[in-house]
Amino acid sequence: MSEEDKIALVREVIDGEALARLVRAGLDGATVAFDGYVRNQSHGRATDYLEYEAYEPMAIAKMKEIVAQIHEKFRIHRVAMVHRLGRLEIGETSVFIAVSAPHRGAAFDACRHAIDTLKKTVPIWKKEYFADGAVWAEGELPPIPPNAKSAS
Amino acid sequence: MAQMAATVRVKVLFFGRLRELIGLAEESPELPEGATLAQVFERYAERFPKLAGFRGSMVVSRNQEFAPWDARVAAGDEIAFLPPVSGG
Repeated sequence: MSEEDKIALVREVIDGEALARLVRAGLDGATVAFDGYVRNQSHGRATDYLEYEAYEPMAIAKMKEIVAQIHEKFRIHRVAMVHRLGRLEIGETSVFIAVSAPHRGAAFDACRHAIDTLKKTVPIWKKEYFADGAVWAEGELPPIPPNAKSAS
Repeated sequence: MAQMAATVRVKVLFFGRLRELIGLAEESPELPEGATLAQVFERYAERFPKLAGFRGSMVVSRNQEFAPWDARVAAGDEIAFLPPVSGG
């Protein structure tokens, strides 16, 4: 992770354009951004709104790990990764990731890797509210490390 | 003479559907020194029987790192029981 990267959990509206601008620099030629936002339905049921909660210090630590990983794996420059918590309405951005790079290929690959990994490993939970009730989204079980006895 | 079992004070956290299920987000119990995370979970499953069925669909973290169930607790640890994650 570089000092120019931005990683945050926020409770206010995410300004994606500002984040995309933030990662741009003279040496770059491309920025790829992922804008994840609230869908109006889930499994055919009309969604009213969503609520996100996080294990905040661990979520930030895991987001930093992902950013460090993509810096190591891909030729990229800067990364912005912001997730929103609390109540979100339909169409509002829940997660925004922007990656700048000298060339587009690395930016596409790194951005894809970042969102896919975030969805599997960052301790954030989504509850979906419908007109007639609410459910926790199914989610993914993060990979667990091998047993303590077998690891040394 | 009976030997007093040593205990350690740790912080235990529950999130998402697990927190909601048992109505407990956080507490700081005293646990037997050297207890495994699986044993810590068992204590809660005895106290909150509804939890037991979730053992296969959760992970546990120790000091904000995902941890194996046979990891052992130490004084001051922060242990969290985490349902499948659904950020993004």
